[in-house]
Amino acid sequence: MKVPSLRDNAIAAALVLCAGFALVFFYAPLDADQGFIQKIFYLHVPLAICSLAGFVIGGIFAIAHLRTDKAIYDVRSYVAIHLSVIFGVGVLITGSIWAHASWGKWWVWDEPTLVSFLIVFLLYATYYPLRYAIEDRDRQARYASVFAITAGAFVPLNFVAVRMAQSLVHPRVFATANGGLPGSMMLTFLVCLAGMALLWIALVRFELAAKAASASLSRLRRALEGEEYAPQSGSRIAPRVPSSATSPS
Amino acid sequence: MPALPLDEAGKYVAGAYLVFLTLVLIYVAIMAAKVARIQRELGELADLAEGRPDDNPPGADAGAQENARGEAEGKVLERERSSREELV
Repeated sequence: MKVPSLRDNAIAAALVLCAGFALVFFYAPLDADQGFIQKIFYLHVPLAICSLAGFVIGGIFAIAHLRTDKAIYDVRSYVAIHLSVIFGVGVLITGSIWAHASWGKWWVWDEPTLVSFLIVFLLYATYYPLRYAIEDRDRQARYASVFAITAGAFVPLNFVAVRMAQSLVHPRVFATANGGLPGSMMLTFLVCLAGMALLWIALVRFELAAKAASASLSRLRRALEGEEYAPQSGSRIAPRVPSSATSPS
Repeated sequence: MPALPLDEAGKYVAGAYLVFLTLVLIYVAIMAAKVARIQRELGELADLAEGRPDDNPPGADAGAQENARGEAEGKVLERERSSREELV
């Protein structure tokens, strides 16, 4: 199957997201309980799902890295986690906005869903210092992969644990006692989720392409300027893009 | 808790969607700055490659030099393209 280009991917993400947001404001009915403020969920929940799924995907790439020892999987794992952390920032901010509108407080510490997501977010926030703390690139990649697998396994466990906990105030989008969302709301939600997933994929591919170009540039410069060239840009946190990724195959 | 009136809820909803838009824009701006830096450095490298003495031997024909340079650039671009496709 032909993989669509990054450009097509980005255009599809923009179109589906715009369609989803149009459905949110012009098609989906107002929630009987929460009213207009419920429109935040069409943004907040897809962001959260993509963020958590991205963490798991980062773990899967990390497994592939440890199994094959190919640095390309380390790069993919790093980028997946990086984007998911950014999406996680969006989840926390939009969730806080909804909480303030609905509960009158920006944050509630006795709500398992909020606190568990914050724990997952803070866990992944330590991924960067972990990479930064290890100078040797190979060891850094291995340790980061072990971290990504462990933390990635924690995400679904955490999700199940929160579902099993007795939640008093955080609403559930799926599988409520009344059978979940009505059809029009579900359609809107699924379009928003698809758009958000496409956006996540497009941004991951964009960052991977930029990293590949940057690594190729460094190699070109080294080839042209000789061994005295030392890269001045690029942090040690970012994984080394493998030479196989820039050699003709 | 009763639902907020539309005018008050609207501010929160607009705020949430604006936060999302801002996050995406900041990320894209940072990545665009990186890509611009890569393009600038690539231009510097192209200048460096064109100015190298090995590339301009005194007896060489100007047309042959141009062809060789174009061929080399084509190979480099092809290699870059294939590597990016592989990585993505």
